[in-house]
Amino acid sequence: MGRGGTSSSSSSFESSNYPSVSSNSSNFSQLKRDLSTDLRLGLSISTSQQDNPSTPSDQQLLDWPPIKPFLREALASEENECNSATFFVKVYMEGIPIGRKLNLLAHEGYQDLVQTLDQMFNTSILWPEMDVENSEQCHVLTYEDKEGDWLIVGDVPWEMFLPSVRRLKITRADSL
Amino acid sequence: MNYFPDEVLEHIFDFVTSQRDRNSVSQVCKPWYKIESSCRQKVFVGNCYAISPERVIERFPGLKSIFLKGKPHFADFNLVPHDWGGFVYPWIEAFARNNVGLEELKLKRMIISDECLELISRSFPNFKSLVLVSCEGFTTDGLAAIASNCRFLRELDLQENDVEDHRGHWLSCIPDTCTSLVSLNFACLKGDVNLAALERLVARSPNLRSLRLNHAVPLDILQKILMRAPHLVDLGVGSYVHDPDSETYNKLVTAIRRCKSVKSLSGFLDVAPHCLSAFHLICPRLTSLNLSYAPGIHGTELVKLIRHCRKLQRLWILDCIGDEGLEVVASTCKDLQEIRVFPSDPFVGNAAVTEVGLVALSRGCPKLQSILYFCQQMTNAALITVAKNCPNFTRFRLCILDPTKPDAVTNQPLDEGFGAIVHSCKGLRRLSMSGQLTDQVFLYIGMYAEQLEMLSIAFAGDTDKGMQYLLNGCKKLRKLEIRDCPFGNAALLMDVGKYETMRSLWMSSCEITLGGCKSLAKKMPRLNVEIINDNDQMEVSADDRQKVEKMYLYRTLAGQRKDAPEFVWTL
Repeated sequence: MGRGGTSSSSSSFESSNYPSVSSNSSNFSQLKRDLSTDLRLGLSISTSQQDNPSTPSDQQLLDWPPIKPFLREALASEENECNSATFFVKVYMEGIPIGRKLNLLAHEGYQDLVQTLDQMFNTSILWPEMDVENSEQCHVLTYEDKEGDWLIVGDVPWEMFLPSVRRLKITRADSL
Repeated sequence: MNYFPDEVLEHIFDFVTSQRDRNSVSQVCKPWYKIESSCRQKVFVGNCYAISPERVIERFPGLKSIFLKGKPHFADFNLVPHDWGGFVYPWIEAFARNNVGLEELKLKRMIISDECLELISRSFPNFKSLVLVSCEGFTTDGLAAIASNCRFLRELDLQENDVEDHRGHWLSCIPDTCTSLVSLNFACLKGDVNLAALERLVARSPNLRSLRLNHAVPLDILQKILMRAPHLVDLGVGSYVHDPDSETYNKLVTAIRRCKSVKSLSGFLDVAPHCLSAFHLICPRLTSLNLSYAPGIHGTELVKLIRHCRKLQRLWILDCIGDEGLEVVASTCKDLQEIRVFPSDPFVGNAAVTEVGLVALSRGCPKLQSILYFCQQMTNAALITVAKNCPNFTRFRLCILDPTKPDAVTNQPLDEGFGAIVHSCKGLRRLSMSGQLTDQVFLYIGMYAEQLEMLSIAFAGDTDKGMQYLLNGCKKLRKLEIRDCPFGNAALLMDVGKYETMRSLWMSSCEITLGGCKSLAKKMPRLNVEIINDNDQMEVSADDRQKVEKMYLYRTLAGQRKDAPEFVWTL
């Protein structure tokens, strides 16, 4: 690891408002530059490097921040795996023969799910708390459970819904 | 007191349990030294190279339990090469040779081989407890030896060790006749375990109170285990991946409901966050919660869980809980004594917490004593507020991910903030700082931190004066570790006698030179001054003016160690 003297160039992580650079911050910047990557600290690794996990990860600083190797590994594997658990279900919209597939585990709850479905099918799904202005154009979300029954989505807690759902169907509000 | 027969003194000393108190007792007078030494059973050696095993055995013939520490603390952060040292074999070999009745062994940052584990298992018939923290050098074969031969095994606790995994038969080696297990922690093992053997083991261990599983133990086995061990006090969940099978989930909920004694929860190494609600049942009784290995749990799930944990005293989490999540902690966990917030994006990216979370905690949790906080930014104002709200801190460790970042609002150094902390927290024993810091903060520390025992500094200070203020001031300083600071020979050599009052000093990427280190070593023969030259940066005939990359010095009665690798020079 080299050590620079005072440097007048600002590196990206230093506050751009702070006028002069102390020798310690240039130590840290020298540390990073010596690793000869074109990685700038402003980049968030998780978004940019999922396709090519080998490039920046091994050139990252191994001794900063001061966390134990176990935690470092656990966090790194989380970055690489993204969503390790998936649960895809079929979704059909009434009147459209070709359905879609959706990963339920990528959503945090009903609201998240409905948002995704609204976008996927270009509609607005009726939700219990919503104001119904024009009910003919709205849809309702239903699901088939393990016993083959069709039920309205949203009655049970999300955690109980997940183990029991088999597939989803978006039906017109007025056909119920 | 000299009129009492020895047995009476011994009996009285039995009530003195802390290592420090026993050390004090032994210094009162010669007779007390003799008696205390002859009956001490538990010994703590903070630096395995400070003294030889033979001397320990000679002084404490009643030795039954020992805790040894090896590598310096910065080894946790990849600053010390793996084979630097800290081998425990000579100790075990000496114990075996001298017929020490060893029952308990605890090691931290040491190297222990399979041969050594086997030697332990064969040499000490009453061996009961093995606790290994951040150790390496062994495989599951060594564990198999312990499992097979230690008939009275009570505790096998592996914390964050680097273990070469040869697959899980070690667990099956515990004989069917062994029913004494109280504590089993194998969370750090990477490989599979024999699940049937694990179930049988739990079934025949009525005294089992602490169980921490690794990621290879799935939900359905966890459920079966919990059914057999309803008296567990400490549980480490391994794999908690959602299984779209409601029957297993319901069984798990039933099993959890039966565990009325669980006070400590950890693990969740592989987790799908949506089924955490099963654990909401235990939350009201929890005093300790460690979710720092569960990056799969989103902030919202974390918060939901914590809202149920009103009795929490200890919390370790990731920063994805956010400042808002910490406000929930502050309003829910009024008994909180210790909190650690780790970064979930380790690559100097964005920490999700700031000074706001810290201040919220200080306001809401009056009993807070110990904190480790990785954050995006800090301000002097926040630190001053925290110092006012929480004068009872004994351990205060702050790490700003950008280590030279000034006050986020005023762009000033953080000297005043940390100054307030040391001034207000009169019982502060451990401090670790970051952010932009000048010599001034060291002046404050030297002036006010009278109880400070351990200090970690990185990227701080302007001149030698900084380190000099420290060495002048902190009378109780035992461990000082410095990296990337502009401290040179003048600071190092200012008060060489001081280092004999301390356990150790680490300096890396500072301004000290080979000449300075040589001079120190010459003046202080009872210090080992080691230069760690792991990148072949220095040649044997190096110029004294060359800067030393890594230096580690420690006081010792054992002289130069004989097991130093080639790249370690003891001056």
